[in-house]
Amino acid sequence: VTSSATPVSVTLTVNGRSVTREAGGHLTLLRWLRDNADALDPKYACGEGICGACTVLVDGQPVSACIVLAAQVDGAEITTAAGLLDAHGRPNDLQESFHRHHAAQCGFCTPGMLMCAAAMLSEGTAGSREEIRKGLHGNLCRCTGYQHIVDAIEECAANEAAATR
Amino acid sequence: VYVKPFRYERADTLADAAEALRSHEGGARLIAGGQSLMPMMNLGLVEVDAVVDISRVAEPRGVTDDDGYLRIGALTRHRELERDPLVSTHQPLLASAARNVGSARVRNVGTLGGSLAHSDPAAELPLAMTTLGATYEVTNGGETRTVPVEDFHVTYFTTSLGEDDVLAAVRVPKLGPGWGWGFVEVSRRPGDFAIVAASALVRLAGGEIVESRVVLGGVSERPLRLGAVESSLTGARASDVPKRVPEIEGLEPMTDTSATGAHRKHLSRVLAIRALQDACARAEEAA
Repeated sequence: VTSSATPVSVTLTVNGRSVTREAGGHLTLLRWLRDNADALDPKYACGEGICGACTVLVDGQPVSACIVLAAQVDGAEITTAAGLLDAHGRPNDLQESFHRHHAAQCGFCTPGMLMCAAAMLSEGTAGSREEIRKGLHGNLCRCTGYQHIVDAIEECAANEAAATR
Repeated sequence: VYVKPFRYERADTLADAAEALRSHEGGARLIAGGQSLMPMMNLGLVEVDAVVDISRVAEPRGVTDDDGYLRIGALTRHRELERDPLVSTHQPLLASAARNVGSARVRNVGTLGGSLAHSDPAAELPLAMTTLGATYEVTNGGETRTVPVEDFHVTYFTTSLGEDDVLAAVRVPKLGPGWGWGFVEVSRRPGDFAIVAASALVRLAGGEIVESRVVLGGVSERPLRLGAVESSLTGARASDVPKRVPEIEGLEPMTDTSATGAHRKHLSRVLAIRALQDACARAEEAA
């Protein structure tokens, strides 16, 4: 049995920047982003879509980049944690809240946590601690025990709710 | 681990996909959401010459009203099943089952057809389809045939799909008057595969069970319909359910890192009762 990986041209908008590359059609979105688009914030860990470290937004929806082929999402808009920075390159409110609450320890899970949190905030599904915990059940953190991560998201959601009231 | 390189091909129609499967003579797999196939390739459990991407095929996706039935395209994502108004109105058991699938990330990408064709014995959707008595539409491009759910799921990760068959759509009967439903599962964490899941439909008349279907997931090679339990329930009132459900015979569930076989066996009866009680309560509410 022979297999040949034929190159496939894929264009993705990564954090607002359009990137086109010819690369093996077998490449996962995660590997494509890391190897071709210098997007090193999403991390490879479990390879099964369980741990959430590779989470990116594909057209605004959280997806495990390690179990989706780049070729499958050709043309999509991809947002990684670096794409959450504001127009001046400063951390946005969510990232600031993570910082303030010491919600990162080793930091490996943080980019994925941020993307799931960002999706929860934009979908309005971060209304209570219980809801936040439910939203994060697909993201594993082996350092912090989650409390500070939940605190950070809760505060950010409360601030957003207060601002729109 | 990196996946072993393979050819990537994109199909525009299901007939193209079937043709591509034929041309690779067993060396190709279909990919839709990829939420089962990609993990298996990342873990080195599956190696292929080619994957045929059907995720951009226009048909069949979404839910349509088909008289007494809902017709659901195989490419419908779990997230859509959770939120679809026709599903919520006419077969809420299916929405509940979809909500129990994986994490939000899996549900954003994973498809109904992918889950059914993967046929994991602990998966929620084959369990729901068995409970609902669904029929599957299967095509090889040339002809389309109808396969009853009980002839589709054969054993662990094995279906009756032929080498060039593609699952196109599923038909499920709408929930009729007098019926109630229940879907419960126990897992280590929300989003994990079920250790045991149970799903039930009950029809009440005059406060008594006149018809029921109860099925277990996670305890056998495929969803296990409990025919003996169903017959012993006829004429029972909702409050009688616990004492009318006997020990489930011939059950030898597997032991793995999540639970022992004995624990699964214990959960089987408990969850069957709970699913039936929920179904009775909903049937009473609706009446």
